[in-house]
Amino acid sequence: MESPVTDRSLAEDLRQRFGGAEGAEAGVQAEAGRDDAFWVRPDLIHKVLAYLKHDIVPPYSMLFDLSAIDERERVHIPRSAGGFTLVYRLLSLEGNRDVCLKTALGGEKPTTASITGLWPAANWYEREAWDMFGIGFDGHPHLRRILMPPTYEGHPLRKEHPARATDMPPFELPEAREISEEEALQFDPGEWGMKRHGRETDFLFLNVGPQHPGTHGLLRIVLQLDGEVIVDAVPDIGYHHRGAEKMGERQSWHTYIPYTDRIDYLGGVLNNFPYVMAVERLAGIEAPERAQVIRVMLAELFRIASHLVWYGTFAQDLGTMSPVFYMFTDRERIFDIIAAICGDRMHPNWFRIGGVAQDLPRGWEKLVTDFLDYLPPRLDEYDRIVMKNRIFRARTQGVGSYTLAEAIEWGVTGPGLRACGLGWDYRKKRPYSGYDQFEFDIPTADHGDCYDRAVVRVEEMRQSLRIIEQCVRNMPGGPFMSDHPLACPPRKQQTMHDIETLINHFLGVSWGPVIPPGEAAVAVEAAKGLNSYHLISDGGTMPYRVRIRTPSFPHLQMIPLICRGGMIPDLLAILGSIDYVLADVDR
Amino acid sequence: MTVVTFIIHFVLIFILALGIMVLSALIFPFAMRRIWGFIGDRYGPNRVGPQGLLQPFADGLKLFIKEDITPSKANRVLFAMAPAITFITPMLTVMVIPFSPGFTIANLNVGLLYLVAVGSFSILGLLLAGWASHNKYSLLGGLRSVAQMVSYEIPLILNIIIIGMLVGSLSLDDVVGSQGKVWYIAVQPLAFLVFLIAGMAELNRTPFDLPEAESELVSGYMTEYGGLRFALFAAFIEWGEVAVWSMATSALFLGGWRGPFGGNAGWLVLKVLVMAFFVIWVYATFPRLQVDQLMAFAWKVLIPISLVNLGATGLFIILMPDNFLLPIAAFSWVSVVLLVALFPGLLRKALLRKRLRQMENFKLETTEA
Amino acid sequence: MEAVLWPLLVYFAAALALVSAILTLSYLLGQRHRDAETGKPYESGIVSTGSARVRFDVKFYQNAMFFVIFDLEAVFIFAWALAVRQAGWTGYAEIVIFIGVLGSALAYLWRQGQLDWGPRRRRRLAMDIPKENDRLRG
Repeated sequence: MESPVTDRSLAEDLRQRFGGAEGAEAGVQAEAGRDDAFWVRPDLIHKVLAYLKHDIVPPYSMLFDLSAIDERERVHIPRSAGGFTLVYRLLSLEGNRDVCLKTALGGEKPTTASITGLWPAANWYEREAWDMFGIGFDGHPHLRRILMPPTYEGHPLRKEHPARATDMPPFELPEAREISEEEALQFDPGEWGMKRHGRETDFLFLNVGPQHPGTHGLLRIVLQLDGEVIVDAVPDIGYHHRGAEKMGERQSWHTYIPYTDRIDYLGGVLNNFPYVMAVERLAGIEAPERAQVIRVMLAELFRIASHLVWYGTFAQDLGTMSPVFYMFTDRERIFDIIAAICGDRMHPNWFRIGGVAQDLPRGWEKLVTDFLDYLPPRLDEYDRIVMKNRIFRARTQGVGSYTLAEAIEWGVTGPGLRACGLGWDYRKKRPYSGYDQFEFDIPTADHGDCYDRAVVRVEEMRQSLRIIEQCVRNMPGGPFMSDHPLACPPRKQQTMHDIETLINHFLGVSWGPVIPPGEAAVAVEAAKGLNSYHLISDGGTMPYRVRIRTPSFPHLQMIPLICRGGMIPDLLAILGSIDYVLADVDR
Repeated sequence: MTVVTFIIHFVLIFILALGIMVLSALIFPFAMRRIWGFIGDRYGPNRVGPQGLLQPFADGLKLFIKEDITPSKANRVLFAMAPAITFITPMLTVMVIPFSPGFTIANLNVGLLYLVAVGSFSILGLLLAGWASHNKYSLLGGLRSVAQMVSYEIPLILNIIIIGMLVGSLSLDDVVGSQGKVWYIAVQPLAFLVFLIAGMAELNRTPFDLPEAESELVSGYMTEYGGLRFALFAAFIEWGEVAVWSMATSALFLGGWRGPFGGNAGWLVLKVLVMAFFVIWVYATFPRLQVDQLMAFAWKVLIPISLVNLGATGLFIILMPDNFLLPIAAFSWVSVVLLVALFPGLLRKALLRKRLRQMENFKLETTEA
Repeated sequence: MEAVLWPLLVYFAAALALVSAILTLSYLLGQRHRDAETGKPYESGIVSTGSARVRFDVKFYQNAMFFVIFDLEAVFIFAWALAVRQAGWTGYAEIVIFIGVLGSALAYLWRQGQLDWGPRRRRRLAMDIPKENDRLRG
């Protein structure tokens, strides 16, 4: 083991080890103006990642995100970039720091070495990069499309791929094609190296989903069953893919906000949050205090709303038929507040670049305090009917468990990570939007099983109530929107007084703000885990690239690992306890 | 008895049995939805007719004129037979139930035996439905239901035997007749408890509704059934069985048609309604068990208890042939209290699979094997 | 009441006829159509892999066997139950032995693990997970 890098800078350490020549030949060089982002020569990337994962103290043990950028139309192109850039983002939980590694790939069909051997979590991310950009990964066990159908031609996130349906010939689905598309989706056990027969029995291959009452949306899991015992499972995602990242490249910075609402559609403003903060970082805007507290309050309300849906559906997955109605009733209470503030329920589209859309309505305190009085006794009752029920416990305790090491290895964040006994919460570790001003606890549990994930979420709702209460008590005055010229929509007060402001307002409304070139990645602790938006501006009115790192994606990838050896009901308990939203997985 | 009176008699009986089925198919699903709605803080169906009372008719009519699809790969004959077989079961079992003093359709001297023998017919129907559909959910659901019903059949039978011992006869008429002084629920609460649980499992009711576990197996053995065949399963058979089972439980433990102010069929109906309400209540509040837990519960908890109870009952009867009810009651009540006190621990042993962690070792073992 | 069996059979036949009649009527009333997908089995709306007719886990078969054994024994107990009083202590001793044999068979199955439906294998206890996590946290 080496001495902690904190003594010397990571940049120096990496340069000494892998540096070599200067300029384009350099093994590792820091990106201009940053000490946590490095350009790595493609042949070295595996070594550097292995070094960062295993040999450095504290280690960067979590592969947080892996995505690509098509650099070919970029104007403000980084010095070291080629045609495509692969972006590896690592997270060190112990050190509470990030590192971003980039590697430039050239050519029309770039390939590089797979890192699935290093991080199992890289499997789906690399498949996504292949699917979206056509980047090949040598040594990947199943490099095939993940979000697009297997018959799809082209790689949608490449710049030459049209972004709008109007740029393409009309979509047609004649019967012959319908049949061939359907057949292409048939599962072939051989392709996944699965046997059809055991020693004494035939394996039953059962499709759970895409149209199944237990999968909470369009998810397909192919089970290899021996009797009722799950021998292996293959999740198949992409049925809910809407091209959110591609749409980002066609929407102005401002008009993309409503699209984020629909990523984790239960999370509401928890999606707006990282996006607008990333834009604000690019633009250099600081949201005013009042806006920050409003954001926190709404975010926590949505966290409760999201957890309530999870609570009810989890209980229903296990066969308790009534709690789901209670919890949806409570969620309606939250939506009453949300609707009073934002005007919409599930898709509030409320945060703005530089603040929030409007000030809080008159009488909002009463609505919120009423709710603060209403929910706690209800939560106590749910403890009695759900969490303390013996059958419920028998179905969830010891089921679907993973260790902390596995959680980190597979990129698990949020309640799933905290159920393994590590109280790692972004709101505490890297307070954003003034979370450091609030008093709240980070609940944890120890066993990492379905029950403990539930325990953590239930307690999180109580903590969120605490935060909301503090918001109500200490709501600061002042503006809800920044005065910064790039804030959007721009303020209108002065427009009729001087021509400069009028022009700015006109441009800001019609084009939207022109965000200076750069790159920003911001994560928040969303209801389901870390939700991160990685935005690249090329100095235009639209993002050059929007990368959405959602928590559900890596969580779903773990399903085969934790359900092998269990039974079908275990799988349903696991699915319920993971708390995913398919829109959040497929984007 | 002339031929004519016989035919009239026969037709009346047939109409009575059919009436019970139809009434339970109309009332219970509707009652379930309304009661479940009430428990879940909502209304339930309340639009068709006053208080939604006409809802079952609307549903029935809809299902009646729906298309009747048989999957092309299914075994057509068995597929069609399955609902019929399960439908006949409650119609047959209802025959030995004493409805009111002196009125039983067929007062068999082996009524109890008949009850268990004919009652298990429906298992056959469910298995056929599951297998004939050529659908994997149906197959799993069918197999689950058979495994479950077969396992719970044993504690059910053992406890019926206990009642038979108390009465000294296998005729249900005698069973009800001998409950003049005291209902057997007071004498044998232990047997009642086991019988109740096993009965719920026989009926595939929550928390034993695995064969049709919606979130797991879509609709289990019913998945491929549509239209009236589905209605036969979902309304007639399931709820018809609930009615018949409630009647049997009433006859065995709750004094059948007996009640204050002279016994008559009204009391039986009341008891059936209470039992059905209980079933619905449990449905709305309990989670579902899992196959392994379910099996463990039948074989490791219910059957041993029943065997011990059986032996003890016999012992007391022989010890005090003239006054055996009191000691049996004492024994049974003490056991129930003990069991309730010990239940958490017992449950933990039998139900809770050891807090397990499966994945890695599973891989290990498959490679070893 | 004399033991006549044929009314029961007639009753059975009548019930069967009734069900058939209802089903036929519904068949006649219902619509009929045949599309490409009408006859396919439902498997979450996707083309299925492999057949639903497979050599299935032997557990279910075993369970059926146990049932037959125990069910048959129950029939013997039925006979005794009727004659508890007449059979007296001799009968009781015999039935106790009988139940004892039955009970030991159950115990044997239990020990053999035949009553465990869950996957039977060594399991790392979830209790160990916190310990392991502690070790990782150092």
